[in-house]
Amino acid sequence: MEDIYAALDGENILPKLASQLSRHLLFPLIEFEAGKADEKGDDAKARQILAGKIKLLEDTNMADYVAELYKEANNASEAPAEYTKKRNEVIAQLDKYEQETARISELLTMEDVVTNLRSDKVANLEFLKKEHKVTIEMVNALYDFGQFQFRCGNYSSAAELLYQFRVLSTDNDKVFQATWGKLASEILTTNWASAVEELLKVKEAIETNLYNNTRAQLDHRTMLVHWALFPLFNSDTAREPILDLFFTAPFINTIQTSCPWVLRYLIAAVITGRSRTRNSSQNQKQMKDVVRYVRQEAYEYSDPITEFVSALYIAHDFNAAREALARAEQVCRGDFFLAATADAFVDAARHLICESYCKIFSRMNIRDLSAKLGLNPDDGEKWIVNLIRETRLDAKIDSREGTVVMNHPPNNVYQQVIEKTKGGFFRTQVLSAAVSK
Amino acid sequence: MSSRFFRGGDDSSSESSSEEEELYTDEEEEEKAKADSDEDEDEDEDESEESSSDDDGEAKPGASRFLRDASSESEESEDEERVKVKSAKDKRFEEMEATIKLIENGQKNGDWASISTEFDKLNRQVAKIQDNQKTPKQYIKTIAELEDYMNEAVAKQKVTPKKMNATAARGLNAVKQKIKKINKDYQPQIEAYREDNDGFMESSDEEEVAPKAKKTVRIADDFDQQLDDDIEGFATVGKGGKTLQFTPESIFKHLRTILETRGKKNTDRQEQIKVMEKLNEIANTPYQKIRVLLTLISTRFDLGSGGATSMPLDHWKAAEKEMTALFEILETNTEYVVVENAEEWEDDEKPPALEKDQKYIKVPGSMVSYVERLDDELTRSLQNIDPHTSEYIERLTDEGALYNIIVRCMLYYEYLHKQGDLDIPQESINRIITRRLEHVYFKPAQVIKILEDNAWKSVSPKAESTITPRAQTPEAGNLVNVLCTYLFSHAEGILRARAMLCQVYFLALHNEYYKARDMLLMSHLQENIPNFDVLSQILYNRTLVQVGLCAFRQGLVYDAQTTLQEICGSGRQKELLAQGVMMQRYSQVSPEQERLEKQRQLPFHMHINLELLECVYLTCSMLLEIPVLAQTGSSPDIRKRNISKTYRRMLEYHERQIFTGPPENTRDHVMQASKALAAGDWKKSIQFIHNIKIWELMPHAEEIKTMLAKQIQEEGLRTYLFTYAPFYDTLAVETLSGMFELEASKVMAVVSKMISHEELAASLDQVTSTVIFRKGVELSRLQSLALTMSDRASSLIETNERTLEQRTQGTSNAFERQGGRGRGGGRGGGGYRGRGGGRGGGGHMQRQAGGTQFTGGALGAAVRG
Repeated sequence: MEDIYAALDGENILPKLASQLSRHLLFPLIEFEAGKADEKGDDAKARQILAGKIKLLEDTNMADYVAELYKEANNASEAPAEYTKKRNEVIAQLDKYEQETARISELLTMEDVVTNLRSDKVANLEFLKKEHKVTIEMVNALYDFGQFQFRCGNYSSAAELLYQFRVLSTDNDKVFQATWGKLASEILTTNWASAVEELLKVKEAIETNLYNNTRAQLDHRTMLVHWALFPLFNSDTAREPILDLFFTAPFINTIQTSCPWVLRYLIAAVITGRSRTRNSSQNQKQMKDVVRYVRQEAYEYSDPITEFVSALYIAHDFNAAREALARAEQVCRGDFFLAATADAFVDAARHLICESYCKIFSRMNIRDLSAKLGLNPDDGEKWIVNLIRETRLDAKIDSREGTVVMNHPPNNVYQQVIEKTKGGFFRTQVLSAAVSK
Repeated sequence: MSSRFFRGGDDSSSESSSEEEELYTDEEEEEKAKADSDEDEDEDEDESEESSSDDDGEAKPGASRFLRDASSESEESEDEERVKVKSAKDKRFEEMEATIKLIENGQKNGDWASISTEFDKLNRQVAKIQDNQKTPKQYIKTIAELEDYMNEAVAKQKVTPKKMNATAARGLNAVKQKIKKINKDYQPQIEAYREDNDGFMESSDEEEVAPKAKKTVRIADDFDQQLDDDIEGFATVGKGGKTLQFTPESIFKHLRTILETRGKKNTDRQEQIKVMEKLNEIANTPYQKIRVLLTLISTRFDLGSGGATSMPLDHWKAAEKEMTALFEILETNTEYVVVENAEEWEDDEKPPALEKDQKYIKVPGSMVSYVERLDDELTRSLQNIDPHTSEYIERLTDEGALYNIIVRCMLYYEYLHKQGDLDIPQESINRIITRRLEHVYFKPAQVIKILEDNAWKSVSPKAESTITPRAQTPEAGNLVNVLCTYLFSHAEGILRARAMLCQVYFLALHNEYYKARDMLLMSHLQENIPNFDVLSQILYNRTLVQVGLCAFRQGLVYDAQTTLQEICGSGRQKELLAQGVMMQRYSQVSPEQERLEKQRQLPFHMHINLELLECVYLTCSMLLEIPVLAQTGSSPDIRKRNISKTYRRMLEYHERQIFTGPPENTRDHVMQASKALAAGDWKKSIQFIHNIKIWELMPHAEEIKTMLAKQIQEEGLRTYLFTYAPFYDTLAVETLSGMFELEASKVMAVVSKMISHEELAASLDQVTSTVIFRKGVELSRLQSLALTMSDRASSLIETNERTLEQRTQGTSNAFERQGGRGRGGGRGGGGYRGRGGGRGGGGHMQRQAGGTQFTGGALGAAVRG
């Protein structure tokens, strides 16, 4: 691992993430780093990362792949014998497991067996025992085989095996482990919809299985938060449930106490999601919350992205915000999770700058504003016009003087009184109905 | 000079017994008086006599012995009285027989508790009968049988794994001890009884012998005593004669007698201590030394056990020395261990020796309790000394010695704990570690370093601790951390909570605000601190205050104010921090409560400076309150945002004064600074604040002053904007920046923040860089009243809803749902902003999750435990 860390630059938070991810989940991140190094043509770095990759995967069962890597790293045509040996071992093991689980797998594919299964696990097991002589060892073999497949990098079959295991097993701890395993498998097969499903299952299991152990709860939640980043930034449908999950009290507490660096992803997700969500009031609330968390955590964690938020919403320093945004863009492009959405993020962040700018200023110079947004004046003007059109801001551009004039209508006091008393009657009615019940 | 007269009488008694008899009968009354006056010295003699004379073995208070003698003598001389006494004697015999019956019953049931009590009673009754006559035979029979039965029971108990219940076991032990002693006295009779049960009961020839023998002994005693009295009177003479009695062999007997008088009235502890000091000199085996020292130390502690008075200084010092000596003995003679769960060694004649399968010789005792007691005594004496005298400082130097002992004790217990077969309870280690922690947590790092260095110097260079390794401890933060972590993982309940508070306190003291705050919040102590004992609540309050002060030093005015609010806003800082008793004007305090409260007071060197605390609190309140006051102006919802009631009250009082002179105390300074700040005169305000002398007590006073000046500038700007906004259309940023000597960008930031928080109805013009104030936003009185009215109305509805919800305890689910919809319908625009998150678990949880609010706390409960 140290090889890889050494190859990273200071800003990278990979080491922090790494401790919470499994080897297999970490692998794509390292691939990404390798890709970056390749792009830059930095051979020494790429080499270091390659060496790190071999170390990372040595303990897994992916013997073939490691051998390939080894060849690449050492420019050798033949991988050393130990890899071949390992490969044979793995294959032997694989055969053994296959035999062990052949019977039960077969059973579970049989129509008449599956139709006889109910939701009650104990009854199922009882039924299988009676009818088909399935023992608990066989069920456990499914679990072991699933784990083995996962280590071989055979994720989809691992997911399948673990699913079967979960249906049958009554061992709570193992089921919990299997759920984790299935989640990892789903993530690695980029099956986002079921990944989110598993995610929620794991969340529930954390609450029920570790009811009395707050420390273990924290640890597991920390892991879950990290794993959830994969679907969060890769699937649009997964975005909302995961964000909601992150904003629930236990998870935001977890983020604040044990992994404040996740705030970066939280901010990015919220800001990027601005334009996409249908529910803007919810987004605004999330934004407010995020600002609060950034403020609270400022003493122990900051990166360009949190700096951007704190400059814009806490210090109201637009110049600092602009600078932070420029750096944040760099960070996004260099981040495995954020790289894909970097453009969207920058765009949404500009919107935010402009929004709060308009709120505070009544007359502003287009040139200045464009500079603050990081655009040249012509682009800036276009951008602002688009903005005004999209958001129906009450603003005009005075092109002779090169200014934007905002019109802030004062909040009418009579209107306020009316709004405050609007629901009163209805609520009183409900109240009296409830009393008379 | 009556006493001399009686001495004369005594002398004559030694010459001829007949004369003595006359004297006694004649002057019986005076004899009693003398007994009272002399009993203290007699007591001691009594005990030494016991060891030499077998017959007079029972430890009886001096007074009763005199009475007994007197009555027996008078009885012999006056024949008529005999008849009268006889009937009384019969009655006593009956009583005795009843008691014996009860004991026999007890034996049948194996009820040792009742046997023990009845046996005590029996002894008393027999003593009365003995006055008149020889020892009754039934008594001899009973004790002989009881002894047999007891031996049986003890043997049985050793064999069977099942334990006796606690009371029975205690009873058995008590009987065992007593019977051993008594049977020694009656050895011949018992033997006679054993030889020939029936014959002994029949025979009556001995009848006259016993009293006679008794008498002669009695006379001899008196003579001895006389001699000793003289010696006491002329102390320089035969001291050697006296020490002769203390041979190493007799040490345990002396100790036993001393232990037996413990806790009784009228024992002269000073005298006992002297005896034991001598015993300590002559003790030559480690076992003897350990036993003597243990008894000696506990007797010394008894000196200070009376209520509020502390133990005398010289005794404290002696106890400290003796404990050091004791630890040395224990460290060199590792086969002896002092443990709480050891059995009392009964045999005074021979010291316990190492048996084959035993690794240790266990001596009963609790070193940790001794150390705790020593610590408490020091605290108590510090409480009683005037802190402004040099005496206090001198006394305080003893803390170093105490700390050494604590460290030693900890090492000792760690050693014991490692010996797995000793079964040392974890709790003892926790207790001693807590003590060590409590001597450390409130001290600055340098002081701790000195303490630690000295402590490690005092122990042998080989000694090493696994909990706090020698190499780690010089670094104070490390030490506290190590101690606390140990307690977190091994202790529970109060000790653990205390450890947490101590660590938070230490962190706060060393300017680690965020760590301290996070720990305090994560401990969740603010929720359950009212359930803890008063001392822990006081520690909580102290910690809270220290965290607040720390926040202030970091320039976090808001955090500091909210943290200090609870303690300082109450106006009862003194009580809450246990730094002085408040005068209670209205409530009656019973003397008992007052005494308790006095006992709780912290010694002066642990105090948090109250004036500094008040100064910090008021300054923070000023920085927060003045802009708010300016903002709300005269609007009716002025009471809505009341940050500090105490501050407001002071400010009002200050404003009511007709003439205000130059400020004299801290409070005046802050009030005048507030006034200046409210008027926009920030320079004057800074000056007032800087003139407060007490800042000098803070470390880095200059930095704090600079920080305050900066804060005042900003708040001044805000106040100015709030106050004068209605009178301006536009204000140039430059003007403002010139006025408040702030950078233009800073001014822009402040104004932007105010605008974006909707505190200020204005906007910025970037081109001309001016602040443009919006018109028509300041409300007329009617308008603002109407707004308030609508607010009130909606809050009324809300309260109603909540009340109903509470009444039905959420069973009216329908209402909840409908209510939700109702509110949804009512949500028109910004009107409900004030309620955001007020309801519903989510909002509440989040606030709790990261908020800097310390709620709960130990207000009421800490005062009256």
